[in-house]
Amino acid sequence: MSSPNATMKRSSRALVFVMLVGVAFSILWPLWLIGTAALRTNTDYLRNPFGLPGELTLENFRRLLDTYGIGQAFLNSLMVVSIAMVIQLAIATFAGYGLAKYPVPGSKFIIGGFVAVMLIPGQVLIIPIYLLLSRFGLVGDFPGLIIVYVATGLPFCVFFLALSFRGVPNEVMEAAKIDGAGFFRTFFSIVLPMGVSGVATVAVLQFLGMWNELIFAFILLPDDSKTLLTPALAEIGGKFVRDQTLVSAGLLVTAAVPIILLIVASKYIMQGLSAGFSR
Amino acid sequence: MTNVAAEALVGDAAAAASPTGRRSPKPPIATWRKRERRIGLLAVLPAVLVVAAVMLYPIGFALWLSLNKTNGIKYEFRGLRNYTDLLTDPLLWQVVSNNIKFLISVPLVITAALCTSVLLFEKIRGWRYFRVIFFLPSVLSTAVVGLLFRSLFGYNGVVNSAVVAAGGQPIEFFTEANLAITVIVMALVWSGFGYQSLLLLSGLTAIDPAVFEAAMLDGAGWWKRIWYITLPNIRRTIGFVFIINVLYTFTSLFGFVFVMTAGGPGYDTTTVDYLIYLKAFGGASIGSGAALAVMLFILVGALTFAQNKVFRIGDDD
Repeated sequence: MSSPNATMKRSSRALVFVMLVGVAFSILWPLWLIGTAALRTNTDYLRNPFGLPGELTLENFRRLLDTYGIGQAFLNSLMVVSIAMVIQLAIATFAGYGLAKYPVPGSKFIIGGFVAVMLIPGQVLIIPIYLLLSRFGLVGDFPGLIIVYVATGLPFCVFFLALSFRGVPNEVMEAAKIDGAGFFRTFFSIVLPMGVSGVATVAVLQFLGMWNELIFAFILLPDDSKTLLTPALAEIGGKFVRDQTLVSAGLLVTAAVPIILLIVASKYIMQGLSAGFSR
Repeated sequence: MTNVAAEALVGDAAAAASPTGRRSPKPPIATWRKRERRIGLLAVLPAVLVVAAVMLYPIGFALWLSLNKTNGIKYEFRGLRNYTDLLTDPLLWQVVSNNIKFLISVPLVITAALCTSVLLFEKIRGWRYFRVIFFLPSVLSTAVVGLLFRSLFGYNGVVNSAVVAAGGQPIEFFTEANLAITVIVMALVWSGFGYQSLLLLSGLTAIDPAVFEAAMLDGAGWWKRIWYITLPNIRRTIGFVFIINVLYTFTSLFGFVFVMTAGGPGYDTTTVDYLIYLKAFGGASIGSGAALAVMLFILVGALTFAQNKVFRIGDDD
């Protein structure tokens, strides 16, 4: 009970609890409705949207897989996002380490520049990036989008990692240097293990951001066989306005990965919050 | 490009590592520092190059595009005509006024977030779990949240079946401008307040507990403490949240509009960021779209600058 308001009366605390439950309900209930709708047939759903499913069916998911290629889109998303994340982390951890622990000339200017670049909205970049990538023949294929994801995420990654690597004590690094460890030895044996929670935080936040991204994925991968999950869902939603259960199933598939990630890695996500003007 | 830099980095680091064991007298500080600086610079270089190539260069390119009439292959320089044409186009002002309507979401989100954060600050049993639940909508794509709300408010949706059960006629929420905007605003509030309440909570946690203790000794009640201590102490965080919300309504509605209304009916729910997309990829007027993008960028920059100014003022008193 270290809370400054610990003197609050028991009954008031109960009231606060009830109100928090109410807020939580307003978030979970719509998700519950979508989750159950996804497991129902359309006729069963239309009979009573609020009720429990009369019978459970995986028909909606089967249609998504067989007819609308959602499985391929899921795999495409997983591949693009994972590759982009690995490249991004490789570049950003080095840069963050350099900025945190080396006397980089103009480091303040570089960090300031990264922070400023973070503010550029995607809509400002989409037109020139589309034209530039199409000049190199990279529109319609994964590498183009991967490059864009790596670059647009880098400023936040570098900024965040520079801050979190600064927390690695200098004495340990000095000791390693005296033992003759160079840049890479110090990096892999000291900085990375000690700063691992910062790296994990960035990894999770970037994964989420890229998984949810819509406009670049939609514009840069116009081909149906190479589409990613979020734009695929957006298109299914646009085509089947009245087919609630099918759209619900698509929503469930797309939302599942971020929700699972939140449950598994909530510790890292909450850590990222304090520095969290990532968007 | 990145590869070359990485190789250079390897070479340099190896050069830096190998002689350290052998050298007996310590090298002069100046040389050592020089090498440290070079290693640091090489470590940062790939990131700087990638960002410059894929973010800064395109910004410059967008500026150039905005001064041209172009289809992406042929360019015809027309000075500021794209800008003047845009500014005299009634459509732009209609779209801007749509954006201004969406600003209604800002006080709503902030109020919801404030209430939630104050409740969370009581550190009731299980508050950590509540925190995760409140954050849940923030990990979802705007496309997911948008479709979720379109499903709930759709013709066959849950809301309409409640309306029918109450004896009414189903409502077409997305064919009437103000209703559609209302639903999008609700989606904005639903998806945004949790994240922002956590931002505000971190502001609350930063308040010196001694201030609260002093107030308690003075016999201030809970409401008095909220009004005279808690809120004034987090007004800078509130200011920050306010600005990011305003920025958000100008730059991040694309996903919602795209999946919920496609800008319709007519242009009644088209926002500035959606209009950029329509111009460049729907209407083949790339130059005009780029000009709009540049103007949006300037707006974002100005708002951020204003925010920084406000923060400084906050620091002074």
